[in-house]
Amino acid sequence: MSSLVAATADRHAIFVGGKGGVGKTSVASSLALAHAQGGSRVLVVSTDPAHNLGHLWERPVGDDAVTLWAGPSGRVDGVEIDPSRTVDAHLASVSDTMTRLLPDHLHRAARAHLESARDAPGTHEAAVLERVAETLEIGLDRYDRVIFDTAPSGHTLHLLAMPDKMTGWTEKLLANRDRSERFAVAYGALGGTKDTSDRDAELRRLLLRRKARFSLMRDSLADPRRTGFVIVTVAEPMPIAESREVARQLAELGVALVGVVANRLSPADLMPARRTREDALLEHLDLGAPITRIPLIDELVGLPSLERIATSLV
Amino acid sequence: MSFSSRWAAVSQGLSEFYAGPYRRTFAQSQRDEDDHFMLVVLAESLGVPDPAAYYTAELLPAVYEDFHDWHQRAGLERSPLDHISCC
Repeated sequence: MSSLVAATADRHAIFVGGKGGVGKTSVASSLALAHAQGGSRVLVVSTDPAHNLGHLWERPVGDDAVTLWAGPSGRVDGVEIDPSRTVDAHLASVSDTMTRLLPDHLHRAARAHLESARDAPGTHEAAVLERVAETLEIGLDRYDRVIFDTAPSGHTLHLLAMPDKMTGWTEKLLANRDRSERFAVAYGALGGTKDTSDRDAELRRLLLRRKARFSLMRDSLADPRRTGFVIVTVAEPMPIAESREVARQLAELGVALVGVVANRLSPADLMPARRTREDALLEHLDLGAPITRIPLIDELVGLPSLERIATSLV
Repeated sequence: MSFSSRWAAVSQGLSEFYAGPYRRTFAQSQRDEDDHFMLVVLAESLGVPDPAAYYTAELLPAVYEDFHDWHQRAGLERSPLDHISCC
């Protein structure tokens, strides 16, 4: 039998996802703990805006990594992504550029203008994606493995699809710049004097940098040697239906599904009928990855309960 | 006026006569592309929800100077954005 720890052992980036409330955070954290007990340095990153990592480990966790568990050689660090901090930093750096480039009387206007981007739909997601890319990049220097404890399915699938969509977006804008620059060259060759080459070069540089980031992210998500997805579910009809849908969409995105966790199985001695129903549901569940079964654990907070789950993942 | 400078003036006039319309066409086509680009970058400010606003924001500094020309070409005499008072 292949354990979840073995199935994720050679992956650098592991995304743990599933329907809301099925126990993604506890599975992600116990998986991290199990790897760390085996000697790996693991970073757990929560991308869910309703963060639970800190509650589970019973200590404050924020946008900078804090150590959650340390053993003789392995350790678990945790991050709860704060998108608003990323948005602030991003807009501040654009604002700096504006201040540098624009005449004084336009500064205030330019800043006000930028504020409209802050609350735009999609800005929040873009910031989460930026931080995921960052933690992956930095994370893989300092850690053997980065485990993402993700937001409920829909958000996460959208997030995973974004690099590909946005690569297409930058390509369209770059095609527009190509055409514009070709016209500018023809115009210049016929004696035109208005020079837009500085602006054009800057726009091209920005777009190419974005495109490089998006396509790097897209490629690493779709690389089964580097990235794997773990679906967490409970043995009830609705979460299982959603898991099927997630597995289907992951296949479409080219993200490798490496494991399924059936969480919170009812104790057979106390609730025999319920457990029989659960087993029957799982019997017919084939998502193309091995299923790991985890029994219901009372009062799931703190290290002892994470250790208990970790033992069923090894 | 010497013959050579008169000849130069005639020659320049001729090339302007032939090349001018083409140059204007190219300038116009470039402006069309740039106007479209401006529209993409300013979408959110113009009230069109832009899911890529996080990314278009970083393009703003480079196109900001062209804003005044843009809104005048778009047929708007005054700046359409309350917070940009370029004119």
